[in-house]
Amino acid sequence: MSRALFGHLWRSQRTKLLVVAVAIAAWSVFLPIIYSSFGQQIKQVVDSGIIPKQLMNFGGGDPFTLAGSIALGYIHPIAIILVSIFAIGFCVSAVAGERQRGTLEVLLARPVSRRTLYITELVAALLFIGLVLLAAIAGTVIGSAIAGVSSELAVERLPILWLNGMLLWGAFATIALAASVSFDRLTPALGVTLAIVVVSYFLEILGSLWSDAQGLQAYSLFHYLKAREILSGTIDPFGFAVLAAVAVLAIGWALVEFPRRDLAAPS
Amino acid sequence: MDALATTALTKRYGHHELPVQRLARRLGRQPSGDVLALDDLSISVTEGEIFGFLGPNGAGKSTMIRLLLGYLHPTAGSASVLGRDIVRDSVEIRRRVGYLPGGIALYDSLTGERLLDYLGELTGRPPTRRAELLDRLEMSARTLRRPVRDYSRGMRQKMGIIQALQHDPELAILDEPTEGLDPLMQRAFYDILDDLREAGRTIFFSSHVLSEVERVCDRVAIVRRGRLVALQDVASLLERRKRNVELRAADGDLPALEGVPGVSAIARTADGRLTCQLEGDVGPFLAALAGHAIVDLTIEPAHLEEAFLELYTDAEPEDGEAKAAQTAATAAP
Repeated sequence: MSRALFGHLWRSQRTKLLVVAVAIAAWSVFLPIIYSSFGQQIKQVVDSGIIPKQLMNFGGGDPFTLAGSIALGYIHPIAIILVSIFAIGFCVSAVAGERQRGTLEVLLARPVSRRTLYITELVAALLFIGLVLLAAIAGTVIGSAIAGVSSELAVERLPILWLNGMLLWGAFATIALAASVSFDRLTPALGVTLAIVVVSYFLEILGSLWSDAQGLQAYSLFHYLKAREILSGTIDPFGFAVLAAVAVLAIGWALVEFPRRDLAAPS
Repeated sequence: MDALATTALTKRYGHHELPVQRLARRLGRQPSGDVLALDDLSISVTEGEIFGFLGPNGAGKSTMIRLLLGYLHPTAGSASVLGRDIVRDSVEIRRRVGYLPGGIALYDSLTGERLLDYLGELTGRPPTRRAELLDRLEMSARTLRRPVRDYSRGMRQKMGIIQALQHDPELAILDEPTEGLDPLMQRAFYDILDDLREAGRTIFFSSHVLSEVERVCDRVAIVRRGRLVALQDVASLLERRKRNVELRAADGDLPALEGVPGVSAIARTADGRLTCQLEGDVGPFLAALAGHAIVDLTIEPAHLEEAFLELYTDAEPEDGEAKAAQTAATAAP
């Protein structure tokens, strides 16, 4: 790992990191308050049959408990977009962006091996994602306190929830980095990564809303984010293993492919 | 000792590509498959010399530089830089080399000072020459406090030169180093090169500006379609070139130059002038002029440009010619 490169990445991302962390913390504060203030009213609306019950399965189901509402928040598009700023945006542009801008030329003219470059970018990405998820957890704790439902929150399980989130977004980050080191331009790297994330999300949502498509959920990485189950006391080691395996495969690809490939002169 | 040496270095794009790599290349608009960018190139650059590397666009100059610095992997052959193998020891090579890419791109959001600090930190060697370079290229402290995005093209090029040389590398690889510099800054840059030469540093210099190569380089290699077509010291390359001669004699008393050794392309104009080309020793030519009332005589010095153009307007070099150039290259000092 290159300390100089890591310092540069930290300096260039810290303002964005602060903004994203504050935004996701605010979002996470909001959910326990919504649950506390409007949970019962929403349940009555759903029970009345106005809203199809199947829609309540979105985000793992059971949105009328604190654990369920927090889980819904984690898979909500707002949270996904905020975490994706680093898990996808930062990672995709880490190498392909530098290559497209032409700055990879001066960077790789230094005594920095491609593997060192990759590992430094990976560590930075995981740190940024970890801090964003930490802000989300902090927001959840603060929101629960504000709403007066702290007693319902299994605080001791929050580190496991953070780890589960890290594995999910870490897997997407490693996929994005693998795409980034494989292409010379940002567009195809971003396209491939977004396709994987969007299809994965679509399969999970489709499976949760339509019982006939439940079998497709196993092919979605989002399916292995088990926020509600973790907060309710259940841990799915298989899900953790799947996410870890995807990350290991993507890291392996990048570590083999990046040093081997030719970097032609930028056009 | 050689600062840089290549042996039958060859680069073919698209060689043994996996399907997924082919897809990535196409999506990424990399060069099309199966292109021979560098073919069996053997040269050596001696420590302490300024070595010119010439060729038009697409001749293989950038490919050569990119192979030396590890951006590309050779298809065949080998090369060493500062005694280190370019494949095995790429990181160590880059620790001791300074590189100015052609059309350099910099981190626009950083200030000039922060950019030089960052690149210096990555190099891991103290920027011992930075202050001197900033002074000679007239980059003030105030300018360095501005973001690079505000810099003109010339200022960016100066930053490129400074980042390449600030840590006093043993070998500098400079691709079109004076692009965008005004004549005063070009002169300042030539002075910097002179100082580096005196300090025993080696410069690998790629340029399209032939007058500049002629001025600063000790030896030149000329590549064409990835193959070496000439490798000589500049003085002897110019010595062999034909010089253009024009003379005028009183009362149209023009000398008969036909058959004079070294004289060719003789032509007489209607206004009483004679033009010809002169190669090698001028003695026989001057002897032929004796006894004629020459009132005006111009012998233009030979320029590298003519040598370069001659090599490029010639037919495709025969294998024997290419081999001869390769042999000369490997036998060079």
